[in-house]
Amino acid sequence: MNSFLQNISTMKNSINILMAISVLLSFAAGNAQTKNFKTESVKIYGNCAMCEKTIEKAGNLNKEATVDWDKDTKMAIISYDSSVTSKGEILKRIALAGYDSDLFFAPDDTYANLPECCQYERAKKDAHNMESHDMQMAKDHSHHSAMTQDKNALSSIFENYFSVKDALVSTDGSLASEKAEILLKSVSEVEMDKLPMEVHMAWMKVLKDLKQDIGNIMATKDADKQRVYFKSLSKNMFEVIKVSKSESPVYYQFCPMADGGKGASWLSLEEVIKNPYYGSQMLSCGKTVETIK
Amino acid sequence: MTNYTYCWAVFILIMSIRFGYGQNVVRYDLTVTDTIVNFSGKDKRAIAVNGQIPMPTLTFTEGDIAEIVVHNKLQEGTSLHWHGVYLPNKEDGVPFLTQMPIAPNSTHTYRFPIIQNGTHWYHSHSGLQEQIGMYGSLILKKRKTDPTFREGIDDLPTVPVILSEWTDIKPENVHRMLHNANDWGGIKKGTVQSYSEAIKAGHFKTKLENEWKRMLAMDVSDVYYDKFLVNGKKESQLFQFKAGDKVRLRIANGGASSYFWLSYAGGKMTVVANDGNDVEPVEVDRLIIGVSETYDVVVNIPQEDTAYEFLATPEDRTKSASLYLGNGTIQLKSRMPKLKYFEGMKMMNGMMNMDGSMDDMGMDMSFQKMDMNTVMYPEVTGSGDMEMDNQTDHANHSMKGNAELVTLNYGMLKAPHPTTLPKDAPVRELRFELTGNMNRYVWSMDNKVLSESDKILIRKGENVRITLYNGSMMRHPMHLHGHDFRVLNGQEEYAPLKNVLDIMPMETDTIEFLANAEGDWFFHCHILYHMMAGMNRVFSYEEQEPNPYLPNKAWAYKKLQKESNQLHFMAENDFASNGNDGRAMLQNTRWSFGTEWRLGYHDDHGYESETHIGRYIGKNQWFMPFVGFDWRYRKTDGIVEKNIFGQGNTKDSRAVLSLGAEYTLPLLVTLQGEVFSDGNVRFQLMREDIPISPRIRWAFMLNTDKEYMTGLKYIVTRNLGISTHYDSDMGLGFGATLNY
Repeated sequence: MNSFLQNISTMKNSINILMAISVLLSFAAGNAQTKNFKTESVKIYGNCAMCEKTIEKAGNLNKEATVDWDKDTKMAIISYDSSVTSKGEILKRIALAGYDSDLFFAPDDTYANLPECCQYERAKKDAHNMESHDMQMAKDHSHHSAMTQDKNALSSIFENYFSVKDALVSTDGSLASEKAEILLKSVSEVEMDKLPMEVHMAWMKVLKDLKQDIGNIMATKDADKQRVYFKSLSKNMFEVIKVSKSESPVYYQFCPMADGGKGASWLSLEEVIKNPYYGSQMLSCGKTVETIK
Repeated sequence: MTNYTYCWAVFILIMSIRFGYGQNVVRYDLTVTDTIVNFSGKDKRAIAVNGQIPMPTLTFTEGDIAEIVVHNKLQEGTSLHWHGVYLPNKEDGVPFLTQMPIAPNSTHTYRFPIIQNGTHWYHSHSGLQEQIGMYGSLILKKRKTDPTFREGIDDLPTVPVILSEWTDIKPENVHRMLHNANDWGGIKKGTVQSYSEAIKAGHFKTKLENEWKRMLAMDVSDVYYDKFLVNGKKESQLFQFKAGDKVRLRIANGGASSYFWLSYAGGKMTVVANDGNDVEPVEVDRLIIGVSETYDVVVNIPQEDTAYEFLATPEDRTKSASLYLGNGTIQLKSRMPKLKYFEGMKMMNGMMNMDGSMDDMGMDMSFQKMDMNTVMYPEVTGSGDMEMDNQTDHANHSMKGNAELVTLNYGMLKAPHPTTLPKDAPVRELRFELTGNMNRYVWSMDNKVLSESDKILIRKGENVRITLYNGSMMRHPMHLHGHDFRVLNGQEEYAPLKNVLDIMPMETDTIEFLANAEGDWFFHCHILYHMMAGMNRVFSYEEQEPNPYLPNKAWAYKKLQKESNQLHFMAENDFASNGNDGRAMLQNTRWSFGTEWRLGYHDDHGYESETHIGRYIGKNQWFMPFVGFDWRYRKTDGIVEKNIFGQGNTKDSRAVLSLGAEYTLPLLVTLQGEVFSDGNVRFQLMREDIPISPRIRWAFMLNTDKEYMTGLKYIVTRNLGISTHYDSDMGLGFGATLNY
């Protein structure tokens, strides 16, 4: 028992010693810090006061580095402890926050996500030119396909349904509502007398529900509410597309976890699962149950 | 006629030159030594080969004879395994299975013909040596005259890229800590998933349900690493490439337990080979490379005066490592955002049954198609589809969101040539369920570890078809030695050939191979710590020739079994103002030898200890019957205490034997029932590690002897905590808890 007490008193002693040592050490560290501190001036691309905040926040690191950027000269004074970090590391952090320097280019997606006022003119050859060229081509292409799709009287319906679905995939309630409006319009524009007999029958059967569901989706901007109606909308669309067919294959897909475990289906133009019931949360939950060609 | 004979003669002559004495012997000398490295700011022990980490890249051309001479200068045995290579069994490099360990200060020569091409790697198969430096690239080049030579791919400049990770903690210690559910790694990574964090994230119910279902906080990876490395460095640059160049990266994941996401700042990557086998080129934005897999990808250098970042991000996304290709300003790739652990937990809850089995809700999952990562981090879904055939409205969207990312999965791998097996061969069907127990870090197949299973006999000439179902909560990269198998992924006769199959929880995959290479071949999870926990099997060919390097195979197999079922020690003691509280345990897959003590500082508080020897039963190991021995001494002047059953007991001096059992209740509370040799009975409820906040743990205990305890512990370092507790015997105390 005595030995226990003794242990404790030795422990106390050693704690004192430890404290003394750590105080000494922190002095030594403080000295080392000032000795190794380096200051440099570097160019960092940016625009405004908002950029300044982001740049400095990204560059600063407690006890390692401080960054002071001037929005007029685009120059930053960086000072850092060269024994633990480097100019490269600081500029890399700043580039990862969206700001180019002579050492690093920011990732394109990070740059694109900067607030508009911060989208400075980049030094690098603009990769976006290339991209927008691609986009242009794609746009032309899509016009083209829109024109050729007149063959099937219901094709605009399906097309607009897919827009609603895509909006739900990205959990964009207001876009879904917009797209639902277009869908509703195209639903009322269908010239039913031009439909083949069995398609006409299937169409008539679901038309009322279809309109109601679309109307409900239109009426709200809450994606979760829209999904409730989207479930029966999808089921009815499936009934129609089953008989009307489509030029490109359409996939009827099912996720057993949707709707609180009751499961729900949807139609998609791609085999890859992009679940409209969860959006980004469970994007790939589901499987194709039927392929309609 | 004479012409024909002449042609034949020439042909035979050429062939004999090619394959006879003309065959090229390529020799490497590898010296294995202890070394000190500093990856993180601290000097640590590692193992270097020829003075370097990773080990040197070995390059051969198909048709060569490889001669690799290993000089072991370590104080321990070693071995080298040629991962993914077809070779005679005795050259396969698995100690106690295909050879004896290479003894300290001895030399061993591996010699085998190279009869394939592709990107492979090599590593130590001894203990945990792979974690501390024994991994390297192994490049087998295709001959220019090969009929499968692909222009524009096989003639590109190549760079061997080997990924790995570094931890300052000794791997033996990492392994021990994993078995003791030590959550220091979680604290370092910020992934404790405690109640306070759950409440902040609005997920209190999720956490409660998770513990109700007896799950501990789960992560996509188990180990905390200080650094992740590409070719042994956190960052490095290859200046030799310029705009317009195409580069083939031959990537091997030599990490002991990390999966890596691969992405590239210079555009899409084209996957051209996997596990050393060519695949039809496929363009992707990113891919995940499982532990021990290899992928060959082709990347472009799009512009002048720019270097492009090739980024390797471990699956837990805590850190990353980079290789810059080209010269000039570095174009970075954006970092992967943090995982949303509670979303993952919520999904896990939905799929976990109360009895510890998993429910895939009727989805037949396979080939990495449904990735937990997409649940735990909802990726940008952006403006949808880049194939715009059906999206006339795309231009209306802002360009802010990215176009959809293409992520590789096994379903997209397709062999360039048919890979079908002989149709008339007999078929042997095998099925394994991958099983595991996160709480005790037991990993097994069909709930049996290697030490509980015999070798699986197969016959030369058979087609072996294996169906694997992953019923555990982690993904497993299953590796087969000495063979490539076909992954039946829906590509019919073009099923890709692989030697590692990453299988995610709840997936079912089928693989098949022709048994054409006799010997004893390891089949195991390549996560080093899962392998060392016993997630292994051996396929053994019937009637095989004896192995000259391993005369006593039966004895050696016992050694091998023992290696992956070792006892792990843990101990802790709370040095508190009112006494000492502690325990020590030795455990392996099934057995537990544990002792607990409470030692006061004077006789009134008393001294007691309880020792239990128990065996865990069942797949989940929630039930453990045990025999025990209790001893206590306390000076109370004969006051008799009564338990709630009215049984008396002075506790003054007592030494009794006991029989009892422990059962883990929902919320991870342990219920313990015990009958003592003096007739007394005791029931006890206890839990010691309720994660209140990332660093605070709450403990409680109460029992039918009317004893109770409650305490809080703040975890300061891996081995030290500050604690306070109230105990019905010893009162209120404060102290420091040391644990090992």
